[in-house]
Amino acid sequence: MRLWRDLLPVAAFAALLWFLPDLLRAGAGRASVSYLSLVTNAVGLAVLALSWDVLARTGQLSLAHAAFYGTGAYVTTLVARHLDLPLWVGIPAGGAVAALLAVGLGVVTLRLRGIYFAIATLAFTEVLRAFFRQLPTSFAGGAAGMNVAPLFRPAFDPATMERWEIAFLRNEGYYLLYAGLLVLTIGISLWTRRSRLRQAFTAIRTNEEVAGVMGVRPARMKVLAFALSSVSVGMLGAIHAHRVGSVVPEGAFSVATTVFALVTPIFGGLYTTLGPILGAGLLAGIEETLKRNLADGYLIGYGLVLVLSILFMPRGIVGTVRGVARRRRAAAAAAARASEGGAR
Amino acid sequence: MNGDAIAILEVDRLGKRFGGLEAVAELSFTVREDEIFAIIGPNGAGKTTTLNLLSGLLTPTTGTIRLAGREIQTLPSYERTHLGLGRAFQVVQPFPEMTVRENVQVGALFGTPGIDRAEGERRADEALERAGMTALAEQPAEELTLLQEKRLEIARALATQPRVLLLDEVMAGLRPAEARQAVQLVRDVRASGVTVVFIEHVMPVVRDLADRVLVMDHGRFLAEGDYATVTADPKVIEAYLGAPEDEDDERTDAGATAAGVPNEPDTDEEDGA
Repeated sequence: MRLWRDLLPVAAFAALLWFLPDLLRAGAGRASVSYLSLVTNAVGLAVLALSWDVLARTGQLSLAHAAFYGTGAYVTTLVARHLDLPLWVGIPAGGAVAALLAVGLGVVTLRLRGIYFAIATLAFTEVLRAFFRQLPTSFAGGAAGMNVAPLFRPAFDPATMERWEIAFLRNEGYYLLYAGLLVLTIGISLWTRRSRLRQAFTAIRTNEEVAGVMGVRPARMKVLAFALSSVSVGMLGAIHAHRVGSVVPEGAFSVATTVFALVTPIFGGLYTTLGPILGAGLLAGIEETLKRNLADGYLIGYGLVLVLSILFMPRGIVGTVRGVARRRRAAAAAAARASEGGAR
Repeated sequence: MNGDAIAILEVDRLGKRFGGLEAVAELSFTVREDEIFAIIGPNGAGKTTTLNLLSGLLTPTTGTIRLAGREIQTLPSYERTHLGLGRAFQVVQPFPEMTVRENVQVGALFGTPGIDRAEGERRADEALERAGMTALAEQPAEELTLLQEKRLEIARALATQPRVLLLDEVMAGLRPAEARQAVQLVRDVRASGVTVVFIEHVMPVVRDLADRVLVMDHGRFLAEGDYATVTADPKVIEAYLGAPEDEDDERTDAGATAAGVPNEPDTDEEDGA
């Protein structure tokens, strides 16, 4: 019963993701290449946001998401470069190494709260960035980074295909990987909300000491959240590296990645599954629209949208909508009680 | 009283120092299975500190705490909960984002290690029933009245299936009628086989509920016995009413405790004599 309530919408969403490239191709023709790339970015942003939100549910506002993202990118690149293995192996490897690092970081930062926790996780990102830059250039490319082989090399058949279709096919492969990763991340997010982890995470976020007195093991839960949160970001960074064809320290461990990871769920609705996905879709759309219309000034417009949304919807889109719905229900219930009382 | 009853909670020479301040010192007492045990004392006597030491929110500087014979003073609070030590807080601390039922489920699902989820949810509903909160189960915890919050606090602690339940000033802020309901709730809890240790300022509540009373002053043992005995004790009266020269009093009092009060847990006979 409980399972079906989630399974149906997730299956419908997965089907939409699966058929979207065909719809775009049929509907937009040549222009579908840029649409597909836009949708891919939005799905990637959703993975980033949703996985960050899983960790945030324990009250840990992490600034280390870029660290896991960059680790995934470097791991898959190094695997491709130095080991004689199929290229795809680097993706789960990137996720696994990111999760291991996350567990380590989780253990060291257990006693830190609030701003101290945030600073420690930010410093962790910087340390990793410096680490990969300082590795021998012959091994990891140094400051200039490395090239990464693409995962997909669709064959071009001039008799049946137009030139843009080859770009579409290449992008479609990455898009489907991103989409699969999003479905996996939705699964993780829903699991933490439907299992007893929901009670544990919420209790720890509200009051760690009281949670402990209720029998929750805060340390174990916080480290678990770190691992659950980092595994899909590590894989996302890995796939992204193959998609763009190169990895450099500044790009892989960019603060922007961390900022998007936390801004998107706040915009969409924290501690929900729908919120970060909705936020990612909207923010990607807003960003693209502004880019097309404002050229260089688009970041100002984008910043303005975020500032206004936080001012007027501090609980995000989903939180605001739910709040309104609950107040309506409460008002309706009160009205019903009043009329019942009047009738007697 | 029933002298051969089993000791379930044994506190021996417990001490807690915050820098230069001795919040609790040389404190020893024993709680027997199935009794209602009150800890009273003037403000700043160290009662809440003692409860925090018992439930693991603070680590004692000295001394031991035994729960059913097992030393627990170094264990983290969740392990003490798993061993059967429940706690309800003075400043009620529900998890406001969750419903009443979910709040209680935290205790039910995590208070007993390895518990099956369905069984945990069943126990949560049972604890709600025991605390008279079933009708409010779906309500968000942030929308409760004070009495309801206190009931939730107790339901949540009961859901961890405690053998000993620590209650910190459950009656504070309640109106008399509400306090009577709360007293009945505590009686019901004991009747269901849970030993209760509670801190209380409201003296009629102590009189109505407690089998035995421990009086603390300045972090130390002052007296122990049934309600009539301790409230007739001149030391206790002096501590509550205060002596003209407070500082001198503190010194003599501390000296008297260190020198004169035996550390055997069972001091009933002396106090009763």
